[in-house]
This record gives sequence, structure tokens and C-alpha cells, in this order.
Amino acid sequence: MSLNKNRLFIYFSFFFSVGILAQEPASVEKDSMAMQNLNEVVVTGQINKQSVDKSVFEVKVIPRETLDRLAGNTLADVLNQSLNISIQPNPSSGKSSVELFGLDGQYFKILVDNIPLINDEGLGNNTDLTQINLDDIEQVEIVEGSMGVQYGSNAVSGIINIITRKDSDYQWEITPYVQEETIGNEYGFFDQGRHIQSLKVGHRFSDQWYVNGNVTHNDFTGHQNNREGEFHALNDGRRGYEWLPKLQYSGKGLVSYTGDNFRSFYRMEYFNEQVDRYDSVVRENFNPSTQTSNPTASDDIFTSRRFFNHLNVAGQLFQKVNYDISASYQQQKRDVEQFTYRINSREKFDVESQEYESRKGFYSRGTFSNFFTSEKTSLQLGYELSNINGYSSSAAIAFSGNNIARRLESYDAFATAEFALGERFSFRPGTRAMFSSQFKTQMAHSLSAKYAFHNGYQLRAVVGTSPRNPNFDELFTYFVDVNHDVQGNINLEPERGVSTFLHLKKNFFQKDLKWRLSSKISAWYLTVDDRIELTIVNETPLAFQYNNIDEYRNWGTSFTNKLVHGDFQFDLGLSLSGESKVLNSEDSFNDDYLYALQVSSNVGYQIPKINTTFSLFFKYNGPEYQFVLDPEQDDPTFMRSKREGYGWMDASIKKTFMEDKLQLTLGARNLLDITRINTSSVSGGGTHATANTGLLLGYGRSYFVKLLYNLKI
Amino acid sequence: MKNHFLYVAALAVTLFGTSCSSDDGGDSTPAEFVVAFQNPSLSFDTVDSEKQINLVFSTTAPEDGSVTISFTTENTEYDTDFTTEPAAASGQLTVDFTGGATGTAFTFNKLQDAIEGTTKAVNFTISAVSVADAKIQGNTQLAVSFTETAAPSGSVSPEVGGPNEDNQVYVDLSSLTQTSAKRDSWDLGFYSGSDFRVAINGSIYMAVAALESTDIDAVTEADVETLQPQVAVGTFDAANTVYVDDVTGSLDGTAIAAISETDADNPVYLVNLGFAVGTTEPEVGSEAVKGDARGWKKIRILRSGEDYILQYADLDATTHEEMTISKAAGHHFTFFSFDTEEVVDVQPQADRWDINFTVFTNEIEGFGSYGYADFITTNSLSGALAYPVETATIAYADFALADVDEASFEDDQRGIGSQWRNGGGPGTLPSLKNDVFFVLKDTDGNLYKIRFTALTNESGVRGYPAFEFELL
Repeated sequence: MSLNKNRLFIYFSFFFSVGILAQEPASVEKDSMAMQNLNEVVVTGQINKQSVDKSVFEVKVIPRETLDRLAGNTLADVLNQSLNISIQPNPSSGKSSVELFGLDGQYFKILVDNIPLINDEGLGNNTDLTQINLDDIEQVEIVEGSMGVQYGSNAVSGIINIITRKDSDYQWEITPYVQEETIGNEYGFFDQGRHIQSLKVGHRFSDQWYVNGNVTHNDFTGHQNNREGEFHALNDGRRGYEWLPKLQYSGKGLVSYTGDNFRSFYRMEYFNEQVDRYDSVVRENFNPSTQTSNPTASDDIFTSRRFFNHLNVAGQLFQKVNYDISASYQQQKRDVEQFTYRINSREKFDVESQEYESRKGFYSRGTFSNFFTSEKTSLQLGYELSNINGYSSSAAIAFSGNNIARRLESYDAFATAEFALGERFSFRPGTRAMFSSQFKTQMAHSLSAKYAFHNGYQLRAVVGTSPRNPNFDELFTYFVDVNHDVQGNINLEPERGVSTFLHLKKNFFQKDLKWRLSSKISAWYLTVDDRIELTIVNETPLAFQYNNIDEYRNWGTSFTNKLVHGDFQFDLGLSLSGESKVLNSEDSFNDDYLYALQVSSNVGYQIPKINTTFSLFFKYNGPEYQFVLDPEQDDPTFMRSKREGYGWMDASIKKTFMEDKLQLTLGARNLLDITRINTSSVSGGGTHATANTGLLLGYGRSYFVKLLYNLKI
Repeated sequence: MKNHFLYVAALAVTLFGTSCSSDDGGDSTPAEFVVAFQNPSLSFDTVDSEKQINLVFSTTAPEDGSVTISFTTENTEYDTDFTTEPAAASGQLTVDFTGGATGTAFTFNKLQDAIEGTTKAVNFTISAVSVADAKIQGNTQLAVSFTETAAPSGSVSPEVGGPNEDNQVYVDLSSLTQTSAKRDSWDLGFYSGSDFRVAINGSIYMAVAALESTDIDAVTEADVETLQPQVAVGTFDAANTVYVDDVTGSLDGTAIAAISETDADNPVYLVNLGFAVGTTEPEVGSEAVKGDARGWKKIRILRSGEDYILQYADLDATTHEEMTISKAAGHHFTFFSFDTEEVVDVQPQADRWDINFTVFTNEIEGFGSYGYADFITTNSLSGALAYPVETATIAYADFALADVDEASFEDDQRGIGSQWRNGGGPGTLPSLKNDVFFVLKDTDGNLYKIRFTALTNESGVRGYPAFEFELL
């Protein structure tokens, strides 16, 4: 039941955009209408469909239990199994980003406890999933669709909201664990594989005060495959790693206070990551005169540091109005140390360190609700403001030699209202105005409605919009030489994303709840207009510039089911989506829809007698197609290039010992041994066409063992 | 309770104990200090009387020291036929170097020429180095010949000048000499052979277009305004190759048509003067060959007997300058500079260079002209041609005279071209190709194999090429 309870809480939290209330004690909850709904649920201890219906968004939840079954240490470990989402790993930078509805990480926002998480390229968007540690996470919530009214710009394809733990039923909780993983078939106790150690301590001083903290060390030693590591001294393209070595430290702390009609928490996080990039190009420096070689290479060490501070207060004003205010200072900086490495003598020289990219600044968000006593109408007002300093060095993006430092201030105000017309129908319009120091004022709107049929079916429609702000490349690129002219455009306007979702769902169950089936059919249509693309702005000489010019369309339908029968649980989801691109930036284009299928499924079986849970996760990503120009034809003729379909399978066995105190998880990731996926697409063009080597998605089948001790007093 | 804590503590120790990773990363091998002659041979022609002999080190010298060199003579005598600086005594000389140096040198003075038909030579051998653990390896010996002989092998580091690639460097393999000229020191090259042809300077991305007019004073900027954007390199217009010289080096394809005896057949040309040599320092590994645009000129070239008459002016000028330019015997071209308004020295004599390190206006088929840094042309006008061989087919060391395929030589100055390096692209820098070497036929018909050993310096800075070669 706890799962359903969570689900309900999350619906609720989105409804009022007050995520932290998910752990509200009853004392605060009493007065608000929403809280009363919640209380009903809590009191009755079962699903109150009417309450669930109040929620206007479809929220997918990845509960802690699933994170544990996947032995997920970072977000990148677990999102592979989510329907519609795919992970785009970039082995050469070590980053992994989200792709959803065919749109990359720039269109997707990652939040922690309802506020966007900063990274070196943005606030909430373009996040590197491998940098998000999951050790103090209660659950991960995913909402698809444009969420501009709730979360502002760059929430075009959807959002992830990571809910951290802020309470405990125990006075003391001490949880150390160690996890050892192979990286493909490479493993060594010290120098190869993935080595994770973590310690988490939580303490409840009183009913009011709770603290917790955790530290994690995650050492990913990189994957060589057919490469030879950093000491390889020949210029045969085999120096370095296929997947870059990455060493992460993460420390987090939380202080939480819960009083009557007031609740507050402060949460901080420090994250440190080092990524080593060893160039595959070796300068052998053969000296024919002395017949000696003294090979050198140009290497980079990237160090990222993130500080995250979040102070939240929530409660009631004048015994009436609920408020929830978050204030946050965050920064993430990626420094690079560039040097020449003398391979034989292991010497560094020409060492130059500089800031590579960074974002830092202040953020605040507040919501106010429960202005009326009416049960038919409710109103929420809110603000969101941020003041973010961005920096990018010319090493990160091709600029005209100068580094770019820019401050983006944004001041948003939003309002949503809900109207209930009778028992079965309610709707909720919302709007947000976004004022910023860089772009002209943007608006975001949303309208959602739900209808509950007599027979238990629920129909929901959600329309939302969100803009996507231009990134630094698009604004500031400057790459001009005798043969090339590619320039950014500081006059770019944000792209405009609009999404419409329809959801029809029903829960089927036996009276005695012996089995339960939840089914849902969804359909969506998502568009992005004024899409920014490199455009030819002059034919002779040929010159390119970024402009708001293209259009993107994605529609699709999905069917998801969850079946629970005793100790057996089965999830199955199917999704078919089509995308169409109107490329006004090109001479000609084909905007026919190209379709792709995804299947996601997981099976869990628990044998209480032996305290063991078996899990199997499987996601199939069907072939994906793209239109490419046929190089053989003089007239523009399009052919479809294909990226092969592939399956991603993870499995684990979790067994507990000593009254659940000791937990052992054995498992395997990427059981189908996916590495490179063939694709016949041709990239590049012009004179720098890149070789088609396929898309590198994984490093092969890997095994892990996790040993966790959980002391609760 | 206590037990629990002990348990946790023990577990924590074992867990975090494993986190002390090992990163010693294998054994390092400190670079050895090796001393060698830069080249194993040196020859004098009748003009030279003094040459520098270079010694090179494998790494920078760890301390101040000296190299002891002994020599044997062949029909020569110290003080009579030759001397050295520093001076030698009893068949031996000592050359000093300072700590941190990458090499040292001494001077060889030829006092008397060899009488024709006789051999005069001095053979030097490195006999000792003062630095402890120093090694003598590679070119341990150097043969100095008093008569001109083709070098049997050698290595050359053409002084291209770093990432701005300031210079065009002409290298003669057989005499191990290099001659350089600043890329933007000339604009037009007037052919000295029997034809009347005029070349433009592709190393600074010049381009020219013939105009309708034959009256240079009547042409105005307004007349050429629409034409100007097209008359440039790298416009990605397949037809723009008419504005640049034939990339193969054939004089039949110069952008300026053959100069006619009939003045009325010689039109005015619009001249894009290209770009001055760059002066900015780019990111390590990139080039910055392109500086400020040098502007435009209009020109008209006529013939006067065996001479050329060059008329030139700024675009909006209503009068023009005129200069008579004579052919230069023994050279391919007479070079003229608009900057100095004089004839300038650029190339060595026609048969005194084999390859030229230069920035180059090349063609990418279907996309028109395209500028290349790090380009190498051969002296195809004097018959120097080259073709590439992949090491996958045959190793450089194994390649012998019998492996030369005459049919592979194409009459194209781009036989080496850019094929000795990997091209860059967004996110990747150009790099040396280690899996290819070249067969070169020089202007005297000698056959060499040549292999490039550097595109950059040790730190990765562009514009520091090096190669070695061996006479087959």
C-alpha cells in the first residue's frame, strides 16, 4: 500500500506544486482542502480514487525499492528502463543526458525537491545524469509534457523531480554499503571496475528535529575495450579509454524541523567529480638523428564541483493561506587542467588550468494557496526567480577567442486555479509570465481537465507550454576562417514548446485485493516551433548562423499496465511514437512522420520465506529512422537511415539476512551485452564527414554485488 | 547497541579500506640523453666555404657539458684544407653545450676545393659526451665531402614558423638546404619559361577574375561590387576554381589567362589580395594562418618583347602604375609584391628545390576552392613528383628501389599535399598520419623515400613539421 500512498502524495504535490508536503504530518494538513483530501486517504488507508482524480498530471514514480533492485547509484543507472526515455551517453565527455520524445536534455528539466538542480551548462536542463547520486533519494518522479506554468522554461518534453528523504520512523539509522561492479568484462580490485562505498546516517532528535547525512565515493575506472590506456605510446588511435575514467565524491546533509503549522528543512550537497580525458592522438616525436622517440600527448583533466543549498519553509499564514517557499544558492563549476604528457617518463608539462564552464546563482520559488474556503474553487499563486551567472571558456565552445560570462536574470509569476463542476468534472487553467534580462517576455499556459466516469474510468487532458532558451553555443559561437563562417546569434528568441496529453485509465481489482491491475492508455502531441538551427545566411561566401527557423512534431500513444498478484509484480508498457521535422534551415526536407516502438517491462518476485527478491528489467528500443539526403543523387532525394533496435536487460537478486539488517544484492546490467548500435546515418556533411562507426550506448554486460548494512534503532 | 556500532565500524573500515586506489600506473622510463649529428652527411659546392654542423639531443641537456668529436681525413689536412670552430687539435675537437639546450653546433670551414676527379673528405665521429649515462646513437658519424654529392639520408625541420605558418619553405633534399620566404611577401609570379603566364599567391588565398574591360583606368569599385564576394577562396561554390590557379600546378590553368601579344586580348583583372599572415596565437593545435584582409587591386598585364608589363592600381583609381618585369633565367618565376612595388626573391633556382611547405589553395571537388594549412607541394615544374605509400602495404624501413612504381607518379604538385596528416574537424585537431610515407623523385631524378615525423612541436603547437628521408 505504501506505493499507492506515495503515488497519491505525488499527485497531490504536483497539484499544488508543493512537493515537500508529501511528508507533511497531519497537524499541518488539516486546514487546506487538499490536505483534507490527503487525510481521507491516509485515514482510510486505501486508494481514494476521488482524491487521485484531483491530480492533473500523470506522474510516473520510480520508488526507492526499484532503485534498490537496480542497485542504482546515479540517475543514469536507472533511467534506462523507463518508457519513452532514453539515455544518451557521451563516452568522450563522460556525460549522459536524457532524451524524451526525440528531444535532448536541453528540453528536459531535472529538479530536486521541486527546485531545479544546477549544472555547469544550465539550471535544471542539460544535466549530466551520472552526476546525480541517489543515496538519499526517496523516489524519482517523472512527468511527461510541457510544464512551463509549474516549472518555467526548458521544461518542454518533461521533468524529473527527485524527492529526497526528510523523515524517519527510527531514532537512528546507520547504513553503510559497498558495491563492486565490473565494467563490461573489465574488473580489478583496485584499478579496474566500478567501486562504490557509502555511509548514510540519520537521526531523529525529537518529533520536531531530524537530521541526516551521507557520503559516497564512486570510482569508475573507465572502460578500455580495444584501447590501451594512458601509457600507450603509439599513434595508432588506441591510446586512452573508450569510456572515460571518472571519480566522484558526494556528500549531503539535511536538517529538518516540523512544527505545528510550520515545517522547514535545509538541505546541502557537495559533489566533486574528476574525469580524465587522455587523447588518442600520440605525437611520437621520433627523432631520426638520435633514433629516439619521446612521445607526448595533449590530455585534459576535468574537475567538477557542485554546491547545493536549499532552504524550504512551508506553513500557514493568518491561519488560512498555505505558503511554501524555497530559497537556494547553487553553483557548479567545471575546471579543466590541460597539459602535455610525456608518456614514457610520466611527466606533465605545459600545464594550464582554467575554468571551463560554470553556472552559479540564486534561485527562489514560492507558492501560496488556499485563499478561499470554497471546495469548488481553489487558487494558487506563485513566483519563481533566478539570478544565474554563466561562464564558458573558449575551450568549451568556439568563440572569437574571448570567454563568455553572462548573467541571466529571470522573474516569473504564475497562477493556477481549479474549478470543480459537480462531482465528476473539474478543470484547471494556469498561466505564467516570464520576464528575463535576455529574452523578451515569454508566456506559458496550461489547461487541464479531468472527468471521472461512472464505471471507474478516468479521463484526463493536459495541455501545457514551455519555452526552451537558447544555449551558449547558439548565442555565442564564432567559428570563422577562410573556409568557414559559423556564427551564433545573440538575437535568438526561445523556442516554443506545446504539448497535449490524453490519459484514460482504470484500476481493476478483486474485492479481496488478491490481484490488482492498473491500466492506462495515453496519447500525446508535442510540438516545438521556432526551433533553433544552423542556417545558411549567405550563399557566396557560404555563411551559417543560428536562427529560430525549424519545427518539430512528435505524437504517440502508449499503453501501460501494472499487475500485482501476491508476491508477484509485473509491469508492461508499450509506446509508439512518430516524429516529424520541418527543416526550413535546409534547402529541402521530408517532414513525413517516422515511427519508433518502445517496450518496457519488469518482473519482480518476492519469496518472503527466504527473504529474497528476484527482479528482471527489460526495455526494448525499436529501430529509429531519420531522413538523410542520398549522396548518390543530384536532385535532393531523401533516404531513411536506420538505427538498429536494441534491448536493455538488467537483473538482480536481493536477499536480506539478520532480520533485514544485512542486504546482499547480486545482479547484472546490460545482460544483452549492448555496446555499439549500428546506424546507417551519415553525419557531418560538407568536408568533414565523420566515419560511420555506430552509436556507442554501453560498455557491455556488467555484474555487480552490493552489500548493505542497515542499522535501525 | 555497542555490538551494532562495532559491526558498523568494522564494516566501514573494510569498505573504505578498499577505496585507497592504486594509481602508480606502471613504470616510468625517464628519457635517455642521446647525442647525434643531425645528419650523417654534408657536402660543399664550389660556392660555399663555411657550413654549420649541427648536433642534436634526444632531450634537453640535463647540465652544462661538452661533446668530444674525433675525425679522420681523406686527402685533406687540418689547417690546409679545412678548419673547425672551435678549433681541433690532434684529430679531435670539443664542442660545449649548456644545460637545457636541445643541441649544439660547430663550424666547418673549407679552405681549398677538391680538384675535379679527386675525393676530399673529413669523417667525424662522436667519441664522448661529458654527461653521465649519455648515449651516442643514431647518426654517430658525419661525412663531409668537398664536392657536391646527393645526401644519402637526412632529416629536416622546415622553419614554417609555428601556428601562423609565416613562411613558405623550399627544401632541397640532396643538399639538405631550406630556403624560406614570408608568405605575404609576394603577390604575382611571372613565369620565366617560354610561355607568358602569371601565377597568383595561393598561400595567402588570393583570387582573381577577368573583367570585360581592357581599360584599367575605367574600372571602378562599383563595377565589381557584385563580383567581389565570389572572387575568394572557400566560398563553397563549385565554380569558384576559375578564380584561382590550377591546383595541380599546371601553368595552363592559371587564373590569369596566358598573356597575349595582342594588347586588346589582355583584359583587366580584379585581384583579391587575400590575407596577411595571421598574428594571433590560436588554441594549441589549431592554426591561425589568416590575418587581416589585404584588400583589392585591379591589374592588367601586357607583353613587351620578352618582358611583361604590369599595370596596377587601387580599384577606384583613375590612373595606374606601370612596371616592366623581366624573366629570370634559372628560376621558374619573377616575383612581384604590391606592398613593396618591387621584384622580390622567393624561390631558389628552379632545380634547387624539391618540396615546398606552404599554406595552399586547394580544391575540394564539388565545393570549389578550399584553403589548406600544412600543405606540401612538389617542384612539378622541374619534374619533382611524389606519391604516397601506406605502411600497411610495406613498411618504410623495407621500402627499396625495386618497390618504386613509376606509374604512380602523377603530374601534380600535390603528390604529398595534405595526405601526410589527418584533417581536423569540429572537435578534432589535425594530426600526423603515422601510417603513410612518400616516394619522391627529385629534380635531378634521384628517388627518395620520405617520412614525416612531426606536424607540431612536442607540445602540440602547429607549424613545426619535420621529416626524414633516404635515397633509394
